[in-house]
Amino acid sequence: MTQKNNKIPFNEDNYTHNINRNNERKLDRRGFMKTLVGAAGVFAVSSLPWGGVAAKELMGLGNKEYPHKKIVDIKSIPIGHSVDFKFPGEHDDAILIRLTETKYVAYQNACTHLRCPVFWEKEKGEMLCPCHHGKFDVETGAPTAGPPRRPLPEIEVKVEKGAVYAVKVKRYEV
Amino acid sequence: MKCNFHFAALLVILMLNIVFTQKMVHQYYFENYVTAIIYCLLNLVLFPIAFVIYKQDQKKA
Ligand code: FES
Repeated sequence: MTQKNNKIPFNEDNYTHNINRNNERKLDRRGFMKTLVGAAGVFAVSSLPWGGVAAKELMGLGNKEYPHKKIVDIKSIPIGHSVDFKFPGEHDDAILIRLTETKYVAYQNACTHLRCPVFWEKEKGEMLCPCHHGKFDVETGAPTAGPPRRPLPEIEVKVEKGAVYAVKVKRYEV
Repeated sequence: MKCNFHFAALLVILMLNIVFTQKMVHQYYFENYVTAIIYCLLNLVLFPIAFVIYKQDQKKA
């Protein structure tokens, strides 16, 4: 480093030794280009984990079966009401809605826009995300209004022995 | 005046980076994993391209 600096005129990008004033702008420009290349590097590195988990899912490692989980007893959820639960993990919020005597639907209720919790609006019969007023169709989970573009992931449920169980998270149909 | 081709190219790369990243994340959540991986790879090759462009620009200077 010292050797390099001893050469006259030494090749360095800084302002103090910049005798040729026309070069000032050139140095600015180069610094900015360096930043751009750095940004490309950051993008590349931060893409890696996404590619990684996508590959993992592709190889089927993401398809593990979760144990069926009891959500609620039938008698404690009247028609038109909803209950919150967690499925499949402890931190995956989900919502179960009883539509009719026998029809239940359940979704992972992290909004597909920016993951706010989605609520069931009983009076209006729609699922609403309060953050930016995203709305979802209760029958299918498909977005009907607002910013969300992706349906809520649906959870398969089954009714057994007077209670409702979560079976698995459905995949999107391709 | 300097040729600004390299400069513009780097800006285009930054734009593409942003677009690909957005696509990648969305395709991942849509469970189109192959598409997500493709966008990831695109993002990866943009870096060496940007680096080469930068080096060429330096050579010219
Ligand atoms: S987070 Fe639900 S609409 Fe924005």
